[in-house]
Amino acid sequence: MELVVRKTDLLRELQLFQGIVERKNTIPILANVLMEAKGEEVKFLATDLEVGLRSRCAATVAKGGAITVPAKKLYEIVKSLPETDIRIAEDKSGVKVAADRFDSRMQTLPREDFPTLPEGSGGVAVQLPRAGLKEMVSKTQFAITGEDTRYFLNGALFVLKPDSMSLVATDGHRLALVTTKRDGVGKADGGEDAQPILPKKTLGEIARLLMEGDGDVGFERGENHLFFHVGDRMLISRMIDGKFPAYERVIPKGNDKHIEFERDRLTNAVRRVALLSNERSRAVKFELEKNKVDVSSSSPEFGEARETLPVEYTGESMQICFNAQYVLDFLAAVATDIVALELKDEVSQAVMTPIGAEGYEYTYVIMPMRV
Amino acid sequence: MIRRILHIDMDAFYASVEQRDNSLLRGKPVAVGGQPDKRGVVAAASYEARAFGVYSAMSMARAVRLCPSLVVVPPDFARYKAASSAVFSIFREVTPLVEPMSLDEAYLDVTENAWNEPIATNVARRVKERIRLDTNLTASAGVAPNKFLAKIASGWKKPDGLTVISPDRVEPFLQRLPVGALWGVGPVTARKLRARGIERLVDIRAVEIANLRETVGGLADWLQQLASGIDDRPVVAHRDVKSSGSENTYPEDLTDLSLIREEVAEMARHAAGWLDRKTILARTVTIKVRYSDFTTITRSHTDAPTRDAALLAARAVQLLVERTDAGRRPVRLLGVSVHNFCAEADPVEPDGRLPFDGD
Repeated sequence: MELVVRKTDLLRELQLFQGIVERKNTIPILANVLMEAKGEEVKFLATDLEVGLRSRCAATVAKGGAITVPAKKLYEIVKSLPETDIRIAEDKSGVKVAADRFDSRMQTLPREDFPTLPEGSGGVAVQLPRAGLKEMVSKTQFAITGEDTRYFLNGALFVLKPDSMSLVATDGHRLALVTTKRDGVGKADGGEDAQPILPKKTLGEIARLLMEGDGDVGFERGENHLFFHVGDRMLISRMIDGKFPAYERVIPKGNDKHIEFERDRLTNAVRRVALLSNERSRAVKFELEKNKVDVSSSSPEFGEARETLPVEYTGESMQICFNAQYVLDFLAAVATDIVALELKDEVSQAVMTPIGAEGYEYTYVIMPMRV
Repeated sequence: MIRRILHIDMDAFYASVEQRDNSLLRGKPVAVGGQPDKRGVVAAASYEARAFGVYSAMSMARAVRLCPSLVVVPPDFARYKAASSAVFSIFREVTPLVEPMSLDEAYLDVTENAWNEPIATNVARRVKERIRLDTNLTASAGVAPNKFLAKIASGWKKPDGLTVISPDRVEPFLQRLPVGALWGVGPVTARKLRARGIERLVDIRAVEIANLRETVGGLADWLQQLASGIDDRPVVAHRDVKSSGSENTYPEDLTDLSLIREEVAEMARHAAGWLDRKTILARTVTIKVRYSDFTTITRSHTDAPTRDAALLAARAVQLLVERTDAGRRPVRLLGVSVHNFCAEADPVEPDGRLPFDGD
């Protein structure tokens, strides 16, 4: 293999692979990116066996071929080079990367050892609106535990319907559900079947791919894998086995106490008050009274804190405790000026929603603490 | 009231069972355990083998070097268990207060006994005789007013020994006991104590408890009691288990981290299964790693109580990956254990759980 490629083109692709390659380095070849040169382009593939990414960029190929190169080192080298053409050529036992007067040689691993990943069908994929997908990912990602023993909670449930799509994530204590509209382009199977669980890492990589560019995202579902086509790139993700809990059941319907807050003021109050919350539980108490909510905390080691927020509220007095982090996570994920808190009583699920959100519906359910 | 405690220890148990069952092995140096070329370890050595310096826990390869005529016998635990249960049924004929320490070792409180035998030495003699008659095996016994002295006594004369420390002989006995002879005082602690001028157990009596704590930490109060010959621990028929786990020596060093991870995860899941059967939770997971150069480390992690297999496996693997050199250094032994148990209901989790199950 021998080719010449623009630094900017190569760097743009390589940086997308930095999150994909296996960091813990258990299987050496998973730290490598597979490069295949053919025709007028070079194709890239990397995977950690959970998530894989395929991409390509234009190149002048003198000699076709395929090699696997340490993804991190190649990225660092390319990044450090000036804006110029980079020459990449396979030699006896490695690869030469050169530009200007810079010259380097790196070890490669046999292309045959690189795992094969499933291909998408290549047919017409379901089209997912880009903006909606972005909203869904950023507003649910944080509610995935990452290392829950109930491994099906280590991902988010993707619910695809003809006119809408939703992403649901929960760690068993709080649940985030985002639904956005779609216009039904392409097929979408109904029923249980169309509800795969996406690993947390997949969501992170989707978010990264969506950071730049425009256009819808093509979505395909294979036997064990999901395929997301973002521009010229394709993310391949394993699905998590298991049955996602019946999330509709924990979304309360009859919460009759409705309070609206200015998001910034509530964020600041909770953040300040939480400084003196119990370090383990991080509990903050919301005390509702006529036209005000007191947010307070206390910890045996440090002391107490309290802040009063004026609100419009005429319902009965009550108090309820939350883990401050769960409240702050929601407040950081939404962008509206006003947010609502809906309650029933001090032991039932509370719901937080953004008021005036455009293009998506967001329901955030928090289980109160028993204090 | 003065108690009468027996400690009974079967002599070279596994090896003796093998010699009993196979006349060709009698009078020969025998070691039960894994093959020397498979990194076997000596589980038990006959007295003939011990004469060559072969001891249990030694690598079989070393044992064979010390004693080239050594007969290596693979263990057959079914037969050892059968012999053990025959021995224990004799113990339980004497008293219900039998505290098993292992297959071949137990404490008996014979202060009152079913044989109505007031002299504990006679009880010990009869128990030994019954063991010989019923199982064709020998045991060594220690008789003393408490467990720690009984244990030391049973080891005093072996095999087929009987050592009695009557209450009036406790003091002279203590006077000549080196600190290292105590159970719970390993070579490291013994060295620390010796560095402080403590050679004999009774030397501890003269040391300020605060100074002793500096040297041996939490062991101080316990040692001071023992130095006065005091050990009030009762003989408990159903001892509460303090930990459970498993370990494995591999026929070849493991170098592939993913394989090592899977081994550790599997042992953690195994421990979780045990917790499940006991319906208890564990707070602490400990892993043990022995590298190819025999340096051995343990790493522990304590968190919210659990018996969840996946969670315990994740914790064990995290310890492995973050706090050991496994994979970078070849590994010959791995172990995982759980301890720090608690009952199911006692953790109060303040974070509310979403009622997915409709409760």
